[in-house]
Amino acid sequence: MNDGRRERLIKLASAAVFLTIVAVAVLIVVSQSGSSGGDSENIVAVAEVERELQGIPQDGMVLGQPDAKVTLLEFADLQCPVCKGYSEEFLPQVIENQVRSGEAKLDYRTFTIIDTNSIPAAEAAIAASKQGRGWNYVEIFYRNQGEEGTDYVSDEFLTAIARAAKVPDIARWNHDRRSTSVEAEVEEATAEAERLGFEGTPSFAVQGPGTQGLEALGLLQSADAIESAISAAH
Amino acid sequence: MKAPAEGTLRGIATFLATFGIGVATYIAIADSGGGSPVCIAGGHGCQTVAESSYSHVLGVNIAVFGIVGYVVLLTCALLRGDLARMTGFLASLVGFGYSVYLTYLELFKIEAICQWCVASAVLMTLLFVANATRMLAYVGREP
Repeated sequence: MNDGRRERLIKLASAAVFLTIVAVAVLIVVSQSGSSGGDSENIVAVAEVERELQGIPQDGMVLGQPDAKVTLLEFADLQCPVCKGYSEEFLPQVIENQVRSGEAKLDYRTFTIIDTNSIPAAEAAIAASKQGRGWNYVEIFYRNQGEEGTDYVSDEFLTAIARAAKVPDIARWNHDRRSTSVEAEVEEATAEAERLGFEGTPSFAVQGPGTQGLEALGLLQSADAIESAISAAH
Repeated sequence: MKAPAEGTLRGIATFLATFGIGVATYIAIADSGGGSPVCIAGGHGCQTVAESSYSHVLGVNIAVFGIVGYVVLLTCALLRGDLARMTGFLASLVGFGYSVYLTYLELFKIEAICQWCVASAVLMTLLFVANATRMLAYVGREP
């Protein structure tokens, strides 16, 4: 037995344990301080969104069976954190219970009120909708939304979302999102929200057999409130 | 407390590392086919984890690093002497530390659990216990 050698090796092992603890702590701290969204290199929740929307028809920005009697319009800004919360917490329940069953359609309208970056984001989503991937675009955007006012809405970020949303023809999407017709669509959606008297996002409106034309609802506070509004419109 | 015989510890480590090679190889093969590992208990945790950006480092699936790690651990378990004891300890320490980090990512960043990753983390933890016990009890002593 060589006690000196044994002691040295155990000291070496202790140092390795210490270094490993430090390394793991550093890795965890770095991952926490890393981007909390808005990162085109790290688009998340793609599969989750794919599952949420799978099998539901999309026509432009309208999600749901074409013959659904009730249409719920959501006026929202892709940069709005409250809209992100709705998209993650409330809408999945509504999509699963009322859209998938053919009871209602969801019509996403871009209401660009946060800042000028909201406009290219809205144009990107509408351009994706021209290829049947508008809702995928919106939902993946929300799940990767950056912090407000951090200018994360770059061409690179918008393109990364388009790829994640599986927009089939990226060249066409790039052309569409810069077209005057899409620009006009974005302006018109915001003008419509203002006509309905909306001042914040998300704001809802509903149309169905039980409503008199398009009824402005404003902010609905929960998934249950959204579901009730849809039921009442039948 | 008396440590188990070194042969017993090496036998345990051999078994665990062989099992680990199997798990890591399955994850790597599932990924290379363009898919993701299938959760035996159902659910989409494995798909979510496999599709996250954390599943690859420098373009290489981390399961490949796992295979390398388990092969090193298997080799150390099969060999005698201080070099095998120290290398086995250091490799299992790195593997265990990295498993802690990956489990943290699953729980708090990816927010999905993949049972194959959990299986690997458990194997790596047990390998660390076996290798640490072997090193502490027998390093610096005759094989």
